[in-house]
Amino acid sequence: MVKVKVNNVEVEVPQESYIIDAVEKAGFKVPLLCYLQGLFNEATCRICVVKANGRVVPACRYPVQEGMNITTSDDELEKMRKINFELLLATHNIHCWDCYRKSTCTLSSLSKELGVEGIPVCSECPLYGDECLVNQGIPCLGPLTVSGCDAECTRQGALCIGCRGFVSSRDVWRNAIKFYRENGIRREDLESIITIFWIVLPIKLREIIDEVYKH
Amino acid sequence: MILNSVVYEIVYGRKDLRVHVPISSCTLAAGSQEVYNAVEDYISRTGINGEVHRVGCTGLCFLDPWIMIAGKGLPVAIYVNVKHVDVEKIIAKYLNHDFSGAYALRFKEGNVDYGIPLLDEKPEWKNQVRWVSRNCGLVDPESIDEYIMTGGYEGLKRALKMKREEVIEIVKKSGLRGRGGAGFPTWLKWKITYEQRSDEKYVICNGDEGDPGAFMNRLLAESDPHRVIEGLIIAGYAVGATKGFVFVRAEKPLMADRLEKAVNEARKKGFLGENILGTGFSFDIEVYRSAGAFVCGEETALIAAIEGRARPRQRPPYPATSGLWGKPTVVNNVETLAHVATIFQLGVEEFTKYGTEKSKGTKMFCVTGAVKRTGVYEVPIGTTIKKLVYELAGGPVEGKKIKAVQVGGPSGGCIPSNLFDLELDYETLQAYGAIMGSGGLVVIDDSGCMVNVAKYFTDFTLAESCGKCLPCRVGMKIMNETLERIVNGEGREEDIELLRDLGVTVIKTSLCGLGGSAPNPVLSTLRYFENEYREHVENKKCPAKVCPKLVTYVINEEKCRGCGVCARYCPVNAITGEAGEPFRINDSKCIKCGSCLINCPFGAIEKI
Repeated sequence: MVKVKVNNVEVEVPQESYIIDAVEKAGFKVPLLCYLQGLFNEATCRICVVKANGRVVPACRYPVQEGMNITTSDDELEKMRKINFELLLATHNIHCWDCYRKSTCTLSSLSKELGVEGIPVCSECPLYGDECLVNQGIPCLGPLTVSGCDAECTRQGALCIGCRGFVSSRDVWRNAIKFYRENGIRREDLESIITIFWIVLPIKLREIIDEVYKH
Repeated sequence: MILNSVVYEIVYGRKDLRVHVPISSCTLAAGSQEVYNAVEDYISRTGINGEVHRVGCTGLCFLDPWIMIAGKGLPVAIYVNVKHVDVEKIIAKYLNHDFSGAYALRFKEGNVDYGIPLLDEKPEWKNQVRWVSRNCGLVDPESIDEYIMTGGYEGLKRALKMKREEVIEIVKKSGLRGRGGAGFPTWLKWKITYEQRSDEKYVICNGDEGDPGAFMNRLLAESDPHRVIEGLIIAGYAVGATKGFVFVRAEKPLMADRLEKAVNEARKKGFLGENILGTGFSFDIEVYRSAGAFVCGEETALIAAIEGRARPRQRPPYPATSGLWGKPTVVNNVETLAHVATIFQLGVEEFTKYGTEKSKGTKMFCVTGAVKRTGVYEVPIGTTIKKLVYELAGGPVEGKKIKAVQVGGPSGGCIPSNLFDLELDYETLQAYGAIMGSGGLVVIDDSGCMVNVAKYFTDFTLAESCGKCLPCRVGMKIMNETLERIVNGEGREEDIELLRDLGVTVIKTSLCGLGGSAPNPVLSTLRYFENEYREHVENKKCPAKVCPKLVTYVINEEKCRGCGVCARYCPVNAITGEAGEPFRINDSKCIKCGSCLINCPFGAIEKI
């Protein structure tokens, strides 16, 4: 057995354990993505980084040592996790409106936890499939705007007016506008909803709307 | 030191005339094979009692291809930048006791003054300490006999008479640190591996040198392969290994061929195989040709490459406890192993004479870029950058000023010229944002744009990233795109901060050494040349006038005589005007190719 300190809480774990085991035993949480206990342990996503004796290491793959001092969270770690998470989102083809994962999506729950504004409201919306407002021709702003509200409006059957603002990724904008068009939503209807943001509407979004609706 | 009589025998040979021609990748590119053939042809045609001697490269690349002529009773003269058509003239003149045109004399006969400096008096040679590269350019790399003449395999014999602990103790006493870049103490690696209990252990020579602008490992292995092999056998003995690998890129065929030949010859002489020299120690070496990837310089990726797929893994466990096929493994750089062999040949005291308190010995540095004398120079660790760049490499090309030097290749950082008094050792470089790396120095003069340099290196690391871990795979891509935006004049105010934050995150959270050092060029240029970045971002100007999108070509009307040459060379017809009148460049059409600037006979075209 090895004694380690996690955020100043002392725990004892078996010799061969990784930091994550000690962290969990001490009752703390570290965000995990690529790690699947017993199946995948290659430490590739680097979201679970912690500080072991001041050194930044992945909790899922770094073995514990006697007397190791583990910090699971500080400003620097939070910042790194957030940056790495944003990098991950940048390569993710976000299509929450027709993705079945919804509440089981770790990416979406983690984005809330880390405060990254990258995932649209659709990830939380319960109106999946035929009930989706956009599928019924209603210009709901869910696909374009930031999640985190638990989709309060669409839960009540009302359309999302996007009070939390647009998601940051232009790829998501393009995908979303295409989604509107495929569902026969007219440009005027979409624009009449977006008018709320008209003053702060990014030029790039206007360009994307022009581009998608042109042909 | 090598006995002088041995040097004389190798240099003069047994015939009346011996012509040394370097055959290695770098000199071959400069045309030394043609020179070799011409010399051979000349000797057979004239019937002189002479021979041509194939040697390795000295590392003085700016002289390639050179030849060294040694006639009985004559001084040994070096002729440089030789063309194969001139060979006949040069040798005939030399045999007529006319040495004019020689670059330098290697040895004099007696005390005669020939009016030509000795090589030992030339700054690029005199300031070097040729310790590990002592045989480079002197012996035939494909002959084991010549290596043995210079004291080769004596070190192995000495080591095999000792206990394993004693061998490790000697390396500890020497203070030798890994020459591959990180500077980990070699003895410690060996000791940990030695203490592991395992039926099999391996030693691997890391010859996967991939930095742009670094070629000392290739040079060493091509010019003196037996030294590397001897070092590897000593390492194998010290840790109790059963098998050794030499990891070479297949894209360096001559290096691999020569190492393979060296292994075969050493086996024939009984330095490899069962029961080496009757000591009961059995060891063999395989030369492994890899497909070659920059990431294989990382030891876990190198091991994985031999196993099948080149991808690094999280350490620990370190290879010393669980390496190749899960067995304890030592991975040492080519130069480190050559140092080991030399230490055992000549003794620890000779080695520890050089270097600093913390890092002993010498290191080979490749100096390339905007200097007069590019090449490989072996100097004691702790030599100042100034001495290396200005005294050995000859300083900047006429009319230019050196702005910075990029130390350690794409994983290293730049050091601005006002810090050139820094000493080249592991700790100092690290403190200033660079790394020793394999020892490549790329010199940048005032015609280079630092943002562009940083972008060049991120292009390289981005292409070489294996893609396993997220920060390196995506982070480097975003950094590269941001830099691209900046050099195209589309940089935003927040980009500089973004580069800094992203760089630090990639360094701290990446899985292996590649990602852990890839943002260094960006961070170090940001540290020392932030004003250049700001100039790009805020004023959309490139101070060095390099970035094409930020440069405008104009014709100086006072200098222009209206000849129209520029208009003829312009590929997009952006230049118009009447003959005799000043011409004009239409900036909206101009593609900034620069062909008008090169071709204008009056120097009337200017970049602003």
